Amino acid sequence: MSNTSDAIIIGGGIVGAATGYYLAKAGLTVALFEREFLGSGSTGRCIGGVRQQFTSPGSIRLMMESVRHYRDMEQELGADVHWHAGGYLFLAHDEANQQAFLANIAVQQAAGLKDVRWVNAAEAKRIVPDLDTAGLLGGAYCSSDGQAYPFAVVNGYAGRIKQLGGRVATFSEVVAILQEGGRVKGIRVGGGHEHYSNIVINCAGPWAKDVGRLAGIEVPVEPERHEALITEGVEHMNMPMLVDYRADGGYFQQYKHNGQFIGCYTPDPLVPGLSCDSSFEFLTQMPRRMLKLVPALAEVKVIRQWAGSYEMTPDGNPIVDRTELDGFFVVAGMCGHGFMLGPAVGRAAADFVRTGDRDPNIAEFGLRRAFGSREAMK
Amino acid sequence: MATKELIICRCEDVTEAEVLAAIGQGATTADEVKRLTRAGMGHCQGRTCRRLVNQMLARNLGQKPEDQRQVTQRAPLQPISLKVLAESSD
Repeated sequence: MSNTSDAIIIGGGIVGAATGYYLAKAGLTVALFEREFLGSGSTGRCIGGVRQQFTSPGSIRLMMESVRHYRDMEQELGADVHWHAGGYLFLAHDEANQQAFLANIAVQQAAGLKDVRWVNAAEAKRIVPDLDTAGLLGGAYCSSDGQAYPFAVVNGYAGRIKQLGGRVATFSEVVAILQEGGRVKGIRVGGGHEHYSNIVINCAGPWAKDVGRLAGIEVPVEPERHEALITEGVEHMNMPMLVDYRADGGYFQQYKHNGQFIGCYTPDPLVPGLSCDSSFEFLTQMPRRMLKLVPALAEVKVIRQWAGSYEMTPDGNPIVDRTELDGFFVVAGMCGHGFMLGPAVGRAAADFVRTGDRDPNIAEFGLRRAFGSREAMK
Repeated sequence: MATKELIICRCEDVTEAEVLAAIGQGATTADEVKRLTRAGMGHCQGRTCRRLVNQMLARNLGQKPEDQRQVTQRAPLQPISLKVLAESSD
């Protein structure tokens, strides 16, 4: 097999796999290197939600594009990715949240997301008949948000890369980035094998900083531990992803394809680092938070808990950019939204790498930006 | 019994043929077989099938059992209702 490709991708999560797919689709030979197995990092540990309700116009439009890709993905990838437009309902229990959601809805509608709307508590109850509406003022609801199955998506993209003549190397950790005269030349994996290309793309998610340092490029991405759990499958209750931003809230949804409930919450205080240990605190807290919103789930059984890494940038927005090293790119820092953003970011990143033209929707994702603003809908 | 009818993971109804297809697709670890087929993702969390999957990987790829990478075991050891967990003190 040739040891030279048009582009090298470091990282076999959704961002690397989607970026690689769109490059391969455009005719480039792609070699993807993954330190473990596909989806073993953040992608395979996420809870599978896909929403368009963001707060900046660029991210909203990118997410509208991602949803279009998810709708077409079964055909595009030849794999059933279990896309289901079950919607997202953000719950507001206080005036401040309500005002913030109303302001967001205005921005989202102006960006073209027409089916997002404010629903009052009675409408929320109609959407989720089992919802406990005590103290609920209403919520932000978008019925075209949805869910998909992360493993099918990442394996689907990787399968297409191979079909298009590319190479997907698993259990192949990149240990060096080769360069010559200010240009990237390729990579070396543990074990000594070298692979050459004038384009190397850092899609390493929570390891993006480490991979950047192999090239002498600082990438401001820090991992943060987030825990999750999943239940046995039960009869489908046809409810959207519920998002509760209260201090004792969380996010959870039910998979349409097999009836399992899956959920997580953002810990306070945050837990920096790459640990994927799980805690007894989470295993008891998350069920309380779920039952507070939907008491009818009381007898549903939890079968597994785990943890994964969010890959955080200082402002909560991704990095999609070239670097000071010619030919070395960064597509990382998805801040817990990689599975949502992956298809559109992969498409936009591939276009940028190929042509140098920057999609306006990724204009704010520069590597050397000021990192001053913040994405509010975490 | 035909390989299409032989169940390896009885929680997720994964057949021997499906596990063999995952190995044919390039899976070399039980972790990958699990993500491709859902073997081990069901109610019992692989209690029955993980040994079978490892045997199939060993037989088809010439792996030594002692060199095989094991899937991560996670809590809870058996399914527990949300109610019981919610009423536990942390």
